Amino acid sequence: MLILAQLVASGIAVGMIYGVIAFGYQLTFATSRTLNFGQGEALMLGSLVGWTLVAYTGYLIMLPIVLAFGMLQGAVVERLGVRQAIRTKSESGWIMATIALGIIFRNLAENIWGRDELKFPSPLPETPLDVAGVHVLPMEIAIVVGAVAIMLAIEFFNRYSIYGKAVIATADDRDAAGLVGINTSLVITFSYALSSMAAAFAGVLIAPVTLTGATMGGVLGLKGFAVAIIGGLTSGIGVVVGGLILGITENLTGFYLSTGYKDVPGLVLLLLVLSFKPSGLFGRAAIKKV
Amino acid sequence: MRTTLPRLAGLVALAGFPFLVSSPYYLHLVVLIMIYSIVTLGLDVVFGYTGEVSLGHSALFGIGAYTAGTLALHLGINFWWSLPLGAAFATAFGALLALPALRVTGPYLAMVTLAFATIVQILINEMTFLTNGPLGISLGRPQVFDWRPWFKMPLRRMQDLQFYYVVAILLLLTILLITRLLRSRYGRAFEALRDSPIACDCMAVSVYRHKVLAFMLSAGFAGLAGVLFAYSELYIAPENFGFDLSITFLLAVTVGGRKSRAGPIIGAAIVVFLPNLLADIFLFRVAAGVIAAASLLGGGFTALRFPEKRRTVAMPVALCVAFFAFSLLLRSITDYKLTVFGLMILFVVYYLPDGIYGFVRQGFAVIGLAAPRARVGEQHRESDAWGTAPPATDVGRPLLDVQAVVMQFGGLRALDRVDLAVRAGSVHGLIGPNGSGKSTMMNVLTGIYVPTGGDIAFEGRSIVGDNSSVIAARGIARTFQNVQLFGELSLIENVLVGLHHGFRGTMLDAALQTPRERREEAAARDRAMSLLRFVGLDSVAKEQARNLPYGKQRLLEIARALALDPKLLLLDEPAAGLTAPDIEELMTIIRRVRDHGVTMILIEHHMDVVMSVCTTVSVLDFGQKIAEGAPAQVQRDSRVIAAYLGATHDAEAA
Amino acid sequence: MRPTRRAAIVTIALSVLSLPALAADPIKVGLSGPFTGGSASMGVSMRDGVRLAVAEINKAGGVLGRPIVLVERDDQAKNEIGVQVTQELINKEQVVATLGYINTGVALASQRFYEEAEIPVINNVATGSVITQQFKAPDHEHNFVFRTSANDKIQSSMIANEAVTRQGFKAPAILADSTNYGQLGRQDLEAALAKLGVKPVAEEKFNIGDTDMTSQLLRAKQAGADVILTYGIGPELAQIANGMAKLGWKLPIIGSWTLSMSTFIDNAGPNGDGALMPQTFIQLPNTPKRKAFIEAYQAAYKIDRIPSPVSAAQGYDSMLLLAAAITQAGDTDGNDIRNALENLKTKVDGVVTVYDHPFSATDHEAISSNIPVFGLVHGARVVPAHPEDVQGDKAVRMKTEG
Repeated sequence: MLILAQLVASGIAVGMIYGVIAFGYQLTFATSRTLNFGQGEALMLGSLVGWTLVAYTGYLIMLPIVLAFGMLQGAVVERLGVRQAIRTKSESGWIMATIALGIIFRNLAENIWGRDELKFPSPLPETPLDVAGVHVLPMEIAIVVGAVAIMLAIEFFNRYSIYGKAVIATADDRDAAGLVGINTSLVITFSYALSSMAAAFAGVLIAPVTLTGATMGGVLGLKGFAVAIIGGLTSGIGVVVGGLILGITENLTGFYLSTGYKDVPGLVLLLLVLSFKPSGLFGRAAIKKV
Repeated sequence: MRTTLPRLAGLVALAGFPFLVSSPYYLHLVVLIMIYSIVTLGLDVVFGYTGEVSLGHSALFGIGAYTAGTLALHLGINFWWSLPLGAAFATAFGALLALPALRVTGPYLAMVTLAFATIVQILINEMTFLTNGPLGISLGRPQVFDWRPWFKMPLRRMQDLQFYYVVAILLLLTILLITRLLRSRYGRAFEALRDSPIACDCMAVSVYRHKVLAFMLSAGFAGLAGVLFAYSELYIAPENFGFDLSITFLLAVTVGGRKSRAGPIIGAAIVVFLPNLLADIFLFRVAAGVIAAASLLGGGFTALRFPEKRRTVAMPVALCVAFFAFSLLLRSITDYKLTVFGLMILFVVYYLPDGIYGFVRQGFAVIGLAAPRARVGEQHRESDAWGTAPPATDVGRPLLDVQAVVMQFGGLRALDRVDLAVRAGSVHGLIGPNGSGKSTMMNVLTGIYVPTGGDIAFEGRSIVGDNSSVIAARGIARTFQNVQLFGELSLIENVLVGLHHGFRGTMLDAALQTPRERREEAAARDRAMSLLRFVGLDSVAKEQARNLPYGKQRLLEIARALALDPKLLLLDEPAAGLTAPDIEELMTIIRRVRDHGVTMILIEHHMDVVMSVCTTVSVLDFGQKIAEGAPAQVQRDSRVIAAYLGATHDAEAA
Repeated sequence: MRPTRRAAIVTIALSVLSLPALAADPIKVGLSGPFTGGSASMGVSMRDGVRLAVAEINKAGGVLGRPIVLVERDDQAKNEIGVQVTQELINKEQVVATLGYINTGVALASQRFYEEAEIPVINNVATGSVITQQFKAPDHEHNFVFRTSANDKIQSSMIANEAVTRQGFKAPAILADSTNYGQLGRQDLEAALAKLGVKPVAEEKFNIGDTDMTSQLLRAKQAGADVILTYGIGPELAQIANGMAKLGWKLPIIGSWTLSMSTFIDNAGPNGDGALMPQTFIQLPNTPKRKAFIEAYQAAYKIDRIPSPVSAAQGYDSMLLLAAAITQAGDTDGNDIRNALENLKTKVDGVVTVYDHPFSATDHEAISSNIPVFGLVHGARVVPAHPEDVQGDKAVRMKTEG
């Protein structure tokens, strides 16, 4: 029983990370119907840049710099990869372009930071807390808090600021938004910036708990996909629930079945949800108007 | 003739290569290029033709390879049996993958294939009892037969030669099969479903079914290539078949050139040689220099001939030259192999959407060396434009009986319990102000929307819940308010898509070009020409549909819809945007269609058209039917006038 | 003629005569290892050790008057890339011999091509016991695979002895990675433990790249383990140490030599202190040869701590052995080199040990069980676990039979 609790507890932290990545997918999908297939690399870059900075500035000061870096990186991805494809309405174009950018970032990171895993110093003590027999790292609690914080922050921003309203308007109806004077192109760039920022933040959250390195992005990006699909690309609460489901299921599978199969349930769930309820467990099916 | 000479040269080169170059290393490299080409040719059908991004072909490739490996390891089954088995397994997995994934549009196939590829790699890695897991499987060299009594040579050399020729023959067969398939109606269907999936479905050509078929076909080829790969490398491990390989395949198709045979092969050669190129900095610089020179030549030529394009070519040329300069500065490029890959993809997405081969082809076309696209059957016999199915003659029951149908979008009721009874042989007009629900009714009738309430009976049978291609096959055809032509296909090809429902042959017939297939294709072409003649477009049958003037496009849509042999034809604002003479032509055509016994529902705003051709008219307003009857009668109905002009006018008239 | 003028003429004559040697055809030696990825520190250290040896040899005039040229290829610790690299080295570069293989799996997948081409391979780091047994008589007439590292049979015996006999543990848990190295090592460990009458209470597997070892460690804990025996490489081993810290359940770690990798030491930090592993070489200048080697390495590569000292030393020694063999053979034919290796007449003064007839027709292992000593991770370095093992004349241990 205690072991079960331990597995669930570890699963919650990593599940929230998946949720944040999926949240990032939602942001860009809402405004532009595109996704960044290199989102995992955005997380990875945030984590590595943070690793470089944290030696000089400490964790807290490093955070806003990494967030800013994330926004810049997202804007670059949108400008280089997505804008052209949206203009030419080429679906495969932005898929290939964001994949390509992800590959380039990964390769550059390998050359700058090396191909080895690096240890990210934890801002919080690394001795686990004993919560009713279950060992929880303080950093894991920080991950949950941080993930929820960033998602709420972005949600609040969307709802209550004028720029946020522009984002919602573009998401609703891009043409109409353009007609009322909203620079939809800038909004899309901005949503990509927010998305990468969230991913970069997730990167510095998770890095102290696992190792960080140039290859950490790939699998995380894929799991983020799974959560975005499972939860629904239109539902905010969906990604949180989806992330938790995935994180906990993975740990349970790893323990009771075999660690090699850890990644399988998420992917299988992705396939099942896409087959039977493509809008996700929490999403609403949209009727396309012709 | 223009294409035969280069093809012959290619065959000779292929056959003679192992005698020019005897180094086993380079022989092996060329074999690898051929194996990758089989994959990329298949992938081109999915990516180049149907436009879907598959990130899972590495897994299908791996399934083929591991079929060969596990069969050899556990059952001692050799190369020859592994070939069909590997292809079969991969095709089965391809179906498993495509059936759920292609139900939805958007990037979902990319995600699903990515997930699938990851799962397959994990399973191969973990199911050690079957696959040996990370330890991998070693295979023995395959042999056709021992010809050493007649041709003296070392055993190794003989095995290398035999394997080379086996792979070469399989590659040629692949090219042949795919070419034949793409020239047939399947190729048409693939292009059509990309241009306008909705129109495709409404022409009884199921988009879903064809996408699945395309995917399964490419999976089969990937599996076959996988078996060849296993026996080429003689060692396979789970790591061979990861995400990077899927990207490599996609890169090959995009860089080489989609929708061609040469493109994927060129692409395969590039991706196989790329690591070698990058290992040697000198070679890399040479290649970069060649690219820079080529871009300067091409860019310079374009800038001279087309001065207005000067700015657009400046950027790519500058990038190529910068790339060359960059290569001179670098000391070693191997660490940046993936960056080069990524940059290549970006460059191609931006500047070379048709890949290298497409670029070269365009270049030739500009210079005037273009080989005309081969066309089958220039001669057309006079044929009856009309199908053999007799129109419904049961005048008693309505052909189409819409009962209290409701269509709700969230809070909006687009159709509010509308009844509509359309008699066979009539031309039933459907009018009303904008937003009254006319087009919604069209979409409900053709299965694009599923009504939230009520029932629709066609020839006595309910069609609620049937999808568009099923309804089209039942005999309801339509045109669209926003013209939905297959823009890149020619006129005759557009109409031919409508005739697909009549083909009895299978995919195998199309691939092998059996006599039955050829007969059916010829008959269809004759019929298509007759239909074009009917709408007066036969003189421009070979033109691309998107080049037609707007008015003619609408006529083409009608011809295409008639190809379905419909019992009921729905025309959605056919006269919109037409000039007066065009409208006259349209009305003549509508009358002739009516005379042939095809029932029609006509949505129109042009009152003169409605008045002159319709037998009955129903009027919708805010989703409700407010009047129905003979045209003249409806025209005078006060409610109708109020709906169009507003109540004040009604008060004035009163 | 005055003595100085005679000396001058002789010098000039000798220089002129030696010119052909300088312009002589280089001898191409292949170098295959992972220079990127999780195993990179081993590969890079091995490569740097070999390069050091090559520089020294070439400075002294090369082999047979010809300079040695290394053809280096990165196999990324991946079996299939190793295969490709091997084919390139044999068919395209046409090397006379190859040094290398860090990873057992890569070696096992690739060596057959060298055997087929009759080109000798000296494994200087890979330790899978099967490696030198792949092409034994009577199935194969000659075996072209040699080794200068301590194979896993030796290491697993040492680990089992240390854990059970010397330290008295009774319930070991084995954590091994899923590669050939990990799994074959695990088998060797099981056999070694069985000889001491002990059965592991848990056997867990993990993949390269895994970062979360919670499940494996929890299962080991459930089974009541009192010591963790490892067969893996640096990054994952670090995660085992960190994982135990996270669970608040710390057990001693005794494992294969890879616990000396810098990636383990650095990533585990204080959690890695106390780990024990067999080592053929610890970075200690306790003999003149070793002192010279360490100083030369530090000067050439501008670092203080060698990332994988064992790999560097074994790499260096393998080049010395190969050079001696080629010199003895008198030419670069594969069979002649193999013959020379199996019947080496000169003593080779290496870093790990002094090699006196290290190989024979039936024995291709240069390191015997008495050579490795236990290393201990302490304060971000590897130090001898039992100082008495390396003192005095025990500093250099030479091969004994068996």
